[in-house]
Amino acid sequence: MRGISSKKAHSKISKNYYGYIFTAPFIIIYVAFSLYPLLYTFYLSMTNMIVMSGSNYDFVGFANFRQLFEDDFFVTSVANTWKIWLMNFIPQLGIAMLLSVWFMNQRLKIRFIGLWRTVYYLPNLLMPVAVAALYFNLFHMYGPVNQVLYRLGIIDAPIDFFRSSWWTQSIVAYIQWWMWFGVTILYIMAGMSSISPTYYEAALVDGASSWKMFTNITLPLLKPVLTYILVTSLAGGMQMFDIPYLLTDGRGSPNRSIMTMGILMYMRFSSGKGFIGAGASVAVMIFIITAISSFIIMRLLKEKD
Amino acid sequence: MKKWLAVLISVFMLVTLFSGCSSTGSKDGGGKGGEKVLTIWSFTNEAKVFATAFQEKYPDVKVEYTMIPMTEGEYQVKLRSALQSNEGPDVVALEADFVREYVESDYLIDISDLRKYADEVKTFEFTIDVGTDFDGKIKAFSYQATPGLMYYRRSLAKEYFGTDDPDKIQELMSDLEKFEQAAEVVKQKSNGNTYMILSLSDIGRVIIENRSQPWIVDNKLVIDPIVEDLFDLAKRFRQNGYEAQGDQWSESWFAGMNDSLKDAAGNPKKIFAYFLPTWGLSYVLQPNSTTSDGQSTFGDWAAIPGPLPYRWGGTWFGITKDSKNIELAKEFIKFVTLTEETLKNWALGVYTNEYLKKIDPTVGDDLQQPAGDFVSSAKVVEEITSQFGNTQAAEFLGGQNPYEVFMKAAERLDISGRMKNIQATDFDVQDALWDPLAEYASGNIDKEEALRRFKEGVKNAIPNIQVD
Repeated sequence: MRGISSKKAHSKISKNYYGYIFTAPFIIIYVAFSLYPLLYTFYLSMTNMIVMSGSNYDFVGFANFRQLFEDDFFVTSVANTWKIWLMNFIPQLGIAMLLSVWFMNQRLKIRFIGLWRTVYYLPNLLMPVAVAALYFNLFHMYGPVNQVLYRLGIIDAPIDFFRSSWWTQSIVAYIQWWMWFGVTILYIMAGMSSISPTYYEAALVDGASSWKMFTNITLPLLKPVLTYILVTSLAGGMQMFDIPYLLTDGRGSPNRSIMTMGILMYMRFSSGKGFIGAGASVAVMIFIITAISSFIIMRLLKEKD
Repeated sequence: MKKWLAVLISVFMLVTLFSGCSSTGSKDGGGKGGEKVLTIWSFTNEAKVFATAFQEKYPDVKVEYTMIPMTEGEYQVKLRSALQSNEGPDVVALEADFVREYVESDYLIDISDLRKYADEVKTFEFTIDVGTDFDGKIKAFSYQATPGLMYYRRSLAKEYFGTDDPDKIQELMSDLEKFEQAAEVVKQKSNGNTYMILSLSDIGRVIIENRSQPWIVDNKLVIDPIVEDLFDLAKRFRQNGYEAQGDQWSESWFAGMNDSLKDAAGNPKKIFAYFLPTWGLSYVLQPNSTTSDGQSTFGDWAAIPGPLPYRWGGTWFGITKDSKNIELAKEFIKFVTLTEETLKNWALGVYTNEYLKKIDPTVGDDLQQPAGDFVSSAKVVEEITSQFGNTQAAEFLGGQNPYEVFMKAAERLDISGRMKNIQATDFDVQDALWDPLAEYASGNIDKEEALRRFKEGVKNAIPNIQVD
């Protein structure tokens, strides 16, 4: 008896041990490539480190952060980031939701759903460099958009899209929408297909309208998926960099209208001398803003028990 | 058994995970059989041509050449991190946009002792100025000289000014005031269908290089009077329609080079002049002078020094502090940038693919250096200028010898001494200028606001300087 039980205990312990071994690769990689850089970024943001000056740098406390608020540059970048993200996210979610509802609707019987989904997803596979070059040339002063609009008589004079703040922001928001709404459709449709059809059958028996079913069945049961979409999109949106960087001069021209927080950070890091400390302070601000907003969103959308 | 297998697999995984870390350190000392190893990093294959030619002269040296592209800044990132961890190569190629960062840092060593060879081949002073730090130490030399020029259309010049002779056109545009008057003539005589230039940045970068003082003095931003002149001129050019509101490097810029530029209504528009440096002739203007359906402006161009001297681009070579073969690295830099024979071979197209393959059969089928690059030695230039009278480039310029006009531009730039004002931070400062300048030129903001935004932009790109 005794022998058997101790043998059992022994095998239990070693199995617990296996658990650590199996999770070790993830933990090691996480600590080395995620946690350490994150903490190091916090540390760097409190130094005046400059790449081209090698290892001569001082600890400066919050000086970098104070400097961020000395002029309206940083505040503009925060405002731009939020504005462009909202301009892209609201239509993104709305249109993705609408299309998903149509695709999932049994009565509409839309054919080739897989094909549509793929077509909407395709822009996401393009390289940002190619996308930015494409849109720059489309909307350029001498580009085809102006030519078409003019010849159709819609405009009297060519629009200089990339010297207008409003147009440039809109074009960036549109590109972001175009690249990402296909992904959102995938998430929402996956979420919808996990809702049991019995709810809808019961609702149909009760004579509920499509709108009623959407607001009372689909939306509440989609909440976890929506929270996920919102938080990931927010995190991605706050880090928005590639399209605005590549579309104009890489500094948010015209009139700083598409200068996002990511661009400001990169501007400092990539400037001739490489202001790592000052750049890291922007990175830390992006982190804080994203973390707080995600926290608020999750609190607001939390299931009320 | 299974346990053993699991352990074995884990060990393998761990080994492969860390195997990347160890292999880098061992290759520095010297290759097999005691032969000397020289490591070179560059961002184009031009340096590889030199590296191959170098091996012809020094067969006992093994050159380890690494090409890292710089399209999105990969080269700079890689180089910076290598130097920070003391793993830099012996020799680095440095492009005009970032050569100053390294020259002003401690990452490059002093190679002023090569100066005597530069004097022998009469290297253009302005290329040396770029490679000289604030204490007068020379840290980088270049094989090229890249003075800027103004290229204009001969047929349009005849139409608007009655002559296409480069000397006469140069006289008509010898300073900014005359240039602006000429722009008005172009506009009037073409009924607004020809623009003097395509974009404000074309003339902007020319003017900005003619500051009489550096951008930053005693850690403070200095706005030279010519910057204010630039603001005024940009506004007049935009408001009077002397420039086509295009962008450099955009499709419209290239379209103007082959007369395929059309406005929104489909009316053809022409561009009178482009500001491009020496290499702009063979790398930008000539390849874009013909459209896909055969419309061409080949032979309809001429080059003049233009209203102001300026410089654009170029590649320098320096030796990093991590080099263990400093003498050999100096030999290489001397061979590439300060040796008459190499520079002649380079400019005259001696380094053909067959030539390089004979030295090293593994170089591939594309590696070669065509004739025509403008080299940094005035002595070499003088000796070979006559050989460029019958080239394709000369034909492109309507019979004008490109080397002759390059020489004029280089001498003028040398005399101006403008390159002594150059600083690592110049591009960051200037990048902050273009957007407020365009806003001001379009009449969206006043000058005070434009200058305020400019200063703020500078302050945010270079946080450790004072702007007021």
